[in-house]
Amino acid sequence: MIDVRNVTKRFGQGQAAVTALGDVSLTIPEGSFFTLLGPSGCGKTTLLRLIAGFELPTEGEIALDGQSIGHLAPNDRPVNTVFQSYALFPHMSVARNVGFGLEMLKRPKAEIDGTINEMLDLVQLGEFATRRVDQLSGGQQQRVALARALAPRPKVLLLDEPLSALDLKLRKGMQSELKRLQHETGITFVFVTHDQGEALAMSDQIAVMSAGSVRQVGTPEEIYTAPRSRFVADFIGDTNIVNATLLGFDGDAAKIQFGEGTPLAVHTASTSLAPGPVHVALRPETIRVVDESAETALLRGEVVDSTYFGAGSQMLVRLEDGVSVHVQVSTPRPVGSRVGLECDTSMLHVLED
Amino acid sequence: MDKLLSIFRPSTGSRELRRQPLFTGMSWLVLLFLYAPIAVLVVFSFNDNRSVVRWTEFSLRWYAAALENDDIRRSAMISIQVAFTATVFSTIIATMAALATTRGGVYRGRSAAIALINQPLMIPEIVTAIATLAFFSILRQLTGVTGIGWLILAHTVFCVPFAYMPIRARLSDMSVTYEAAAADLYATPWQTFRHVTLPLLMPGVMAGAMLAFVVSLDDVIITLLVAGPGETTLPIYILGQIRRGVTPEVNAISTILIGLTVAMVTLTFFLQRKRK
Repeated sequence: MIDVRNVTKRFGQGQAAVTALGDVSLTIPEGSFFTLLGPSGCGKTTLLRLIAGFELPTEGEIALDGQSIGHLAPNDRPVNTVFQSYALFPHMSVARNVGFGLEMLKRPKAEIDGTINEMLDLVQLGEFATRRVDQLSGGQQQRVALARALAPRPKVLLLDEPLSALDLKLRKGMQSELKRLQHETGITFVFVTHDQGEALAMSDQIAVMSAGSVRQVGTPEEIYTAPRSRFVADFIGDTNIVNATLLGFDGDAAKIQFGEGTPLAVHTASTSLAPGPVHVALRPETIRVVDESAETALLRGEVVDSTYFGAGSQMLVRLEDGVSVHVQVSTPRPVGSRVGLECDTSMLHVLED
Repeated sequence: MDKLLSIFRPSTGSRELRRQPLFTGMSWLVLLFLYAPIAVLVVFSFNDNRSVVRWTEFSLRWYAAALENDDIRRSAMISIQVAFTATVFSTIIATMAALATTRGGVYRGRSAAIALINQPLMIPEIVTAIATLAFFSILRQLTGVTGIGWLILAHTVFCVPFAYMPIRARLSDMSVTYEAAAADLYATPWQTFRHVTLPLLMPGVMAGAMLAFVVSLDDVIITLLVAGPGETTLPIYILGQIRRGVTPEVNAISTILIGLTVAMVTLTFFLQRKRK
């Protein structure tokens, strides 16, 4: 288990200081596939480098299984990294790259050789042991980098956007291979990516980050279906964000109103919002199109565009307040017609800004 | 000629440059004045005649005479001894300096340190020579130590910036991720240097060492002032011989020196090209 407690990281001094991470706290469960997700510059790589030991926290503490590691040198931490650029040693064979960690730990030769074979088999590169790394393809280098980082049996494996240099097909293959490796080894994987699809497909838990702080932590389902803030809703998948008025709270349910419509009780993760205008998220696939006059319609508007994409159509509906909403339907209404939109209130989420 | 020039031709705009009036003529002239004297020297080192302006017959007699000349052999030995020792020490110092200025993080005075290391290249050598002479005279008197060590020390010092340049260039080009990866895989800072940084840096170190060796082997001014009695290096010996007129023997030694230098520079070039 990794415990990140109130970690702040600033680069530079005084006036020119840039805060890369501001008071981040996070718990990464042991043996899980944990993803740090966010746009570039959100601090996810900085957090990874802090766990690896390439940077030291300005404030705060990082603990691994209860032991403080935040100020140890990288070589004193039982944590290994798969680098974005792989960083395989070009002057060594594949086998020597994989055995490097154990060699530095001065393990017996027999153990090192055994582990090299085991690891190369694990990543299906057994016959490449004597090759030079520059004779391998990108995907093969990627797997050598994985084998090298796994060989010393670290408590935590850090992966810094390791799939970003691969083409789409290889990337899909590596996604399932990474999940398999994590499952087989039981090692905690901390995976950094800006690709929300990748994060949803692979992770046990996701921490969504922006501007140096963690916005939400949860399972892929929680993050996708119940985004807490406008940023998370926007960043994960396609989403519609519409305007509503918050009337107040009734227990842990928020009472909201669309335009002059009937007040609705919807779930919210945040009860700290003040009554007044708020944003509400609804996913395109949860919306149903009904007649404008229907009693159940929550929102009303005009169809302004319709795009056929094979499995169905995506309609663009402009609401009365000018906000456009994407809706997925099997049979689209003609452009220019007026429609009503309905949706289960459990699929609505009041967002923090 | 076109083939030769194409090596130096940048990818864009070269066609226009080649069409400039006089471009080809100027190029020929420059190459002629650069290399014709050397070519003449090399050719006449194989001349059987004592004259260095009139060709008679091919012969290796001046090479034989040069190699049999005890003074030449002694001064060549001193040159090699000084150049080799100075190369080893200056390369070690330059490597440490390059590591400190590229891998030591950002610290106050780093730019100043880089400038200070490179500055000797821009100070007139005669100034360095006189300053070294004066400084060493004081030190010699204070310590009472004499010998070839002072000459080696002087050479070591002026070789440092030459060795530093290619080593620092290679280090700046080298991604720090390799060192991060080594540290991540439990290598101590020394192990990281020994197993990752140094092997990857080796082409730069060799290039720096060879540059230092050639510069030391070639030096006249500082050596002339600092060398003690009996410490005549090859260039100093040649200079002494020249005063009595250019002899084919001097041509022969010079040709050997050119061959040695060209070999080393070529080797340096290929080592640097192998950087990827």
